[in-house]
Amino acid sequence: MTSMPVARRRRGRLVWRNTLVGWSFLLPNFVGFAVLTLVPVVLLFYYAFTDWDVFGGAQWSGLANYRQLLHDHSFWTALENTLYYTVAHIPLTLAASLALALLLNRKLRGVAFFRTVAFFPYITSIVALAQVWNMLFSPGYGPINEILRWVGISHPPGWTTSSDWSMPAVIIVGTWREMGYYMLLFLAGLQTIPGHLYEAARVDGANAWQRFRAVTLPGLRPTTFFVTVMLTIGSFKVFDLILVMTNGGPGQSTLVLSQFIYQKGFVENQFGYASAVSIVLFLICLVVTVVQFAVNRRRSS
Amino acid sequence: MKRSIAVVLGAAATAISLVLTGCGSGSDSSDSSSGPVTLTLAGWSLSTTPEFKTLADGFHAAHPDVTVQLKEYDATNYDTQMIADLAAGKAPDIYVQKNLKNFYTYQHGKQLLDVSDVAKQLGDSVGGLSDYQVDGKTYAIPYRQDTWVLFYNKDLFTKAGVPDPDGSWTWDDYVNASKQLTAKLKSAGSKALGDYEHTWQSTVQGFALAQTPGASLQSGNFSYLKPYYSRALDLQKSGAQVSLGDATTNSLTYQAEFGKQQAAMMLMGTWYIATLLSQQASGDADQFQWGMAPAPQFDKSTTGTSATPVSFGDPTGLGINPKISKNKVAVAKQFLAYAAGTDGAKALAGIGITPANTSAVTGTFFALKGMPTDDLSKFAFATHNTKPENPVSKYTAGLQNILNDLHTSVMSANKPVDAAITDAQQRAKNEVLNK
Amino acid sequence: MDALLDARPSAPAGLAAPRRAGRRRSRAWRVLGYVVLAVAAAAVLLPFYWMVMSSLKTNNDIFTLPVKWVPDSVVWHNYVDIWHKSDMTTWLRNTLVLSVAVTALQVFTGSFAAYGFAKVRFPGRDVLFLAYLATIAVPWQSYMIPQFILMSKLRLSNTLWSIIALQAFGAFGVFLMKQYYESIPDELVQAARIDGMSEYGIYRRIMLPLSVPALASLTLLTFVTTWNDYLGPLLYLRSHSIWTIQIGLKSFITTYNAEYALIMTGSVLSVLPIAIIFLVGQRYFVEGIASTGLKG
Repeated sequence: MTSMPVARRRRGRLVWRNTLVGWSFLLPNFVGFAVLTLVPVVLLFYYAFTDWDVFGGAQWSGLANYRQLLHDHSFWTALENTLYYTVAHIPLTLAASLALALLLNRKLRGVAFFRTVAFFPYITSIVALAQVWNMLFSPGYGPINEILRWVGISHPPGWTTSSDWSMPAVIIVGTWREMGYYMLLFLAGLQTIPGHLYEAARVDGANAWQRFRAVTLPGLRPTTFFVTVMLTIGSFKVFDLILVMTNGGPGQSTLVLSQFIYQKGFVENQFGYASAVSIVLFLICLVVTVVQFAVNRRRSS
Repeated sequence: MKRSIAVVLGAAATAISLVLTGCGSGSDSSDSSSGPVTLTLAGWSLSTTPEFKTLADGFHAAHPDVTVQLKEYDATNYDTQMIADLAAGKAPDIYVQKNLKNFYTYQHGKQLLDVSDVAKQLGDSVGGLSDYQVDGKTYAIPYRQDTWVLFYNKDLFTKAGVPDPDGSWTWDDYVNASKQLTAKLKSAGSKALGDYEHTWQSTVQGFALAQTPGASLQSGNFSYLKPYYSRALDLQKSGAQVSLGDATTNSLTYQAEFGKQQAAMMLMGTWYIATLLSQQASGDADQFQWGMAPAPQFDKSTTGTSATPVSFGDPTGLGINPKISKNKVAVAKQFLAYAAGTDGAKALAGIGITPANTSAVTGTFFALKGMPTDDLSKFAFATHNTKPENPVSKYTAGLQNILNDLHTSVMSANKPVDAAITDAQQRAKNEVLNK
Repeated sequence: MDALLDARPSAPAGLAAPRRAGRRRSRAWRVLGYVVLAVAAAAVLLPFYWMVMSSLKTNNDIFTLPVKWVPDSVVWHNYVDIWHKSDMTTWLRNTLVLSVAVTALQVFTGSFAAYGFAKVRFPGRDVLFLAYLATIAVPWQSYMIPQFILMSKLRLSNTLWSIIALQAFGAFGVFLMKQYYESIPDELVQAARIDGMSEYGIYRRIMLPLSVPALASLTLLTFVTTWNDYLGPLLYLRSHSIWTIQIGLKSFITTYNAEYALIMTGSVLSVLPIAIIFLVGQRYFVEGIASTGLKG
């Protein structure tokens, strides 16, 4: 100890001090998080390699669950549908929420009202939402198709009753519901962009689009990253919306992974298998998130 | 790095041991065998489902030193909540098998006590008992046995000038009657349709499985569904019944469709009797004359009041949680015997519930205010060969999921019947029956 | 267009003549903007409009074909009846208690931990953060049973504490606040350190005031999530006396399954408190750094 060079010792002490300080910040949250979330998740990883019926002990089954997955046609359908939802829902929501945030980030008369309106879909209970939207989408009598027929479309889609249109219907409602939520995050993010950057860009003769590209987008990067990650994970995990709107149907046209997991677990009582599917879903989310991390890091450096 | 991992692991290990060791325990043997005993019983929607309180009070009256305490569950998420409670060792002493589909889960998961001695004591007066038997042992005792019958609106039949059902109907007669009713009601200025078919898969599949000779869920051969779906699609296309799409998107309820006279006929389980009676009394349903007839049959061989019509319905049973303290087992078994026996049956019939022991209570039942009094209604209520909707097996839950997908895609006209059946058979083979 | 794309358009500056032209043009844009907003608002509010209108109809008028957009006669008694037919007061009170407690804990512990992740360097930090992030990607329904067993062993289930424990320590708040803190320049923190301020002092006196918009969003989002949570309370809150508005509403729907007018009344009532909170608090989302005088 005594022979340690002073500089190294000081650095060692600094690391030690920082660790202590860092942990003191984390601890209030970490205690709750570790016990109540991390532990069950770690258990889940164990159950994913077992044959578990929820009651008794879990029988270790190795990779059997994953072999079963490979040949489970429903799993692939669910995966396909989840990707469909994700690929359409992310850009739509991202664009809508960013546009809303830009539009509502100013001192307009009535802006408070419009912000509240944009957030309304998110605060409305999902049970009531499903009821109303299903009614609006009703193929024969619903107002949406009434309007479509009025503008000259003689055969409007069957929406939630058609296997081709049920997913678009769910995506519309999903986007409608969540855009206010992400708008809020963008609004908060916009506040971190210093106003003088716009002045400087203006002085340089940049037009509105160029200022958006050169100032707004880079300034929003941490927020955009956060929103994209949450949106991605949220889309891959989409569950309650589909459950109340279509319950996966008609047929399997809107069956998504989260619902597949719920079905296998709570309906068919194969909790080990359901855990394995969760792990697959988890890995997909993880890979996508890590890619997003890497892209984000490269862009910001 | 090492530190943080160590902390995570430490916390995790403590908690994991909590979970893993906790699972096995849970029974407390603190109750003394003498003196008052309290049994806990699961139930759902207690304010609108009086059967649990009726049984609890009835048992308490006969055994004053035993109190039956009700524990309320959510009606639609009953099994999710119960599975969680059983896994955590917090479930009540006696719990209900809400349908047959999940019985396998509980029985196979060793969450039901062997109650064969109660079954032996009850004999064969109780319908649906055999559904709860596995390898010669009985794991639950049915206390209600609903069966599907045809409800019809006598006033609308009169208005349309169509003769009432007489118990001789096959499915073709039913389809004809429905179309006739729709047309004649329309010309009589009524908006009511011939029949309402609710959105559940059982409205088609339950009958197909129960009535078609040789039909079996586990065979993985679903061709028996075809004639039943052809007829349902025919009715839907001809406008004699609301389409599945409109029923789901508009969240139609069968109570309102029949109770508000939107349809002249409806196939439904006998649990609807109690609802209809109370809704007519409260004004939630219109006042009209109604009756019951046996469900339409596969062919003429089971029609007519001298034959026994074939229908379907799952029993509702009571089982005992194996974690019950030892000294309460005997009392719990007494409760099961009471609920399924004549006394319990009479108490249930008094509130409009169809007990498992129907023959004992037909008189009580038809004395209720608002009940129809014609002979065919009594026949439909008392005489039937009721087969299970969900025959107990390890494959049932998985197969029913597949068949539900078939139901929604056929009835919403997204897939022709043949293609949907081929598809379902393929899935059944690859995803369920191969385990 | 100018006004649409800039996050913070400054007041038009310049000479008199172009300014007038610019003003005319900007007024055109402004009118167009309002029209777009009004149409969008109408579209967004459509389902909600339907909810409110249904709550003012008699039950029989709800499912009529063709759809009735305005009730024949406005019926207010649904708003009286629902208080008799349900424990609305209890549900609202429980939900309020839960939402406030969860939000307070999540905002405090989340922003506190986020500071540790964003501004303090120590070994193992990134791995730990990854663990936080990873749990977000695991669907809850797949580990809810192990969690339920754990909570039962801790004797938390069937108490309001279970929902507090479930929601208050989520990774969402940590992640959100960390991202926001990272957009605050390190130099600012470094300068404060050199001035001798402790890390806790920096958190309290610099970071918190600077992050008002993010704190406001986190507060609102946590509040709404807790308010609207259905599956959690369904599994954990069994006694009627601790039910929240969402399970209350759902059980109400099961009980009065054909009384749509009442159901819609309940839905409207469940949304109102949050709508009011939002309306009052919304200016905080766009007034953060501006009010503290920091311009980066």
